[in-house]
Amino acid sequence: MSTTRLQEVLVCFGKKKQSDIATAQTAADMWRFSKINAALANPKLATENDAEEYGKGHEFPTATFKTAWDVSATLEKYLSAEIGAWAVCFGLGKVVKSGAGPFVYTCTPLIPSAGDAAELPYLSYVEQIRPGAGVVLDRQAVGLAVEGFQITVGSGPGRANSKISVELVGSGKVIDSATGITVPAATTEKLLPSASLTLSINGIDYVTNKNIVSLETGWKNNIRMDAGFFPGSGFQTAGDGSTGAIRGRLEFGNRAGNLKFVARFMNGSDEYTKLKAQTSGTAVITLAYDANNSLQLTWQKITYSVVEIAETDQVLTVSVECLPMYDSTNGILTAVGKTTVDAICQ
Amino acid sequence: MTEFVYMRAPWGGAEVRRVEATPEVLSPLMISGWTQCDPPANAEEVTTHVHD
Repeated sequence: MSTTRLQEVLVCFGKKKQSDIATAQTAADMWRFSKINAALANPKLATENDAEEYGKGHEFPTATFKTAWDVSATLEKYLSAEIGAWAVCFGLGKVVKSGAGPFVYTCTPLIPSAGDAAELPYLSYVEQIRPGAGVVLDRQAVGLAVEGFQITVGSGPGRANSKISVELVGSGKVIDSATGITVPAATTEKLLPSASLTLSINGIDYVTNKNIVSLETGWKNNIRMDAGFFPGSGFQTAGDGSTGAIRGRLEFGNRAGNLKFVARFMNGSDEYTKLKAQTSGTAVITLAYDANNSLQLTWQKITYSVVEIAETDQVLTVSVECLPMYDSTNGILTAVGKTTVDAICQ
Repeated sequence: MTEFVYMRAPWGGAEVRRVEATPEVLSPLMISGWTQCDPPANAEEVTTHVHD
C-alpha cells in the first residue's frame, strides 16, 4: 500500500468571489497555489445525543444528532504580489479595481455606518490528493471568509524573510467527495522579497536610514461565528434537517489592525520621544517585485503604544508596537495590490 | 498614465463620479461609502472630480 505524502496535496480557492455564501465556485473562478504549512482544512461535525432525555428508562444515549459543521483553514505562504493582492481584497472587503494590466486593487475595510455590508466576500476552498481513480482526498469547503492576515518581513536573503499567513473561516458547508473540480495549473507568483522593502513610519524612513530589522503587520476581522447560525441559516444538505446546520452569514466583529517593528537604536532615535508625546503619523509599507507587481499597506494614523529598548544579535535595537487608529479623512488602512492577474475578488 | 474609475454615491445614491484611481483620491471616498460602478451610459456628461 502506497503512503500518501502531504506534499501531494493540491490546493485551489476562489480568485473571484462567490455569488453568495452557499453557492460553490467552479474551477473557472479559482486559482491554485502552493503553501508552506501542512495543516489541512478539516471539516468538523459537532453532534449531540439523547442521554439526558427522560422516558428512555436509563441515562445512556440511544441516538445521536448532527448539530452543526465547522470548517477553517490557514494558508501560510511566501509573500507574492498575487497572494498579497488576494489577501487584502478578501480580508478588507472593499475593492476598487483599476488598470488594464497590470491591475491595481485598492482596498479598504468595509464601513457599515457608511452603507457598506457587514459581510466579507466569500470564496470556496478545495483540497485534493490524487484526484481521479485513486483519489485519496477530494473536498470543497464553500462559503469561507478571511478572518485575518499577517505579513512578516525579516532580515536575510531567503524567501522565509517575507511571508504571509491567511486565516480562513467557513460557513460549514462542505462537498466531501467528488467535487467535480479539476484543479487549475499552479499560479506563477511574483515574490515580494524582504530586500525590496520601503518603509516610512511616523515620519522616519527606516530603510534609507538602514535601521529596520524586522516588521510584522496584519488585520483581524474577528468574525462572529456564532451569529452565523440563525433561524433559517440552512443545512449541510438543503432541505434535509438531519444533516446538521450551517452558517448563513459570516459578519465581521470588532476589527483591528496591528503593526510592530524592530529597528536599530541609534543616537537620535526618536521612538521613545514620540511615545511620550503620543505623536501620530502614517506608516507606509511597500514590497515590490517590479513596477507591475507590488503590495503597499498604508496605515493612515498610528501612534506608538509600546517602545522597548532591546538587542538583536548583540546590536542595540528598539522594539515598537503601534496602535493603528481611524483617521477621519482616510480611514484606518488602505492596501494597494498591483499584479498582472485580473478579476481578483470580482 | 493616469487611470480613472467610476464611483457611485453611498446608500444607492444616483450620483456617479469619475475619479483618479489613486489611493489618495479613493480612500476618502471608499470609507465614505462610495463604491465602484460601471461607467454610465453617457460617460461624457459625468463630472470629473480629481481632487475630492
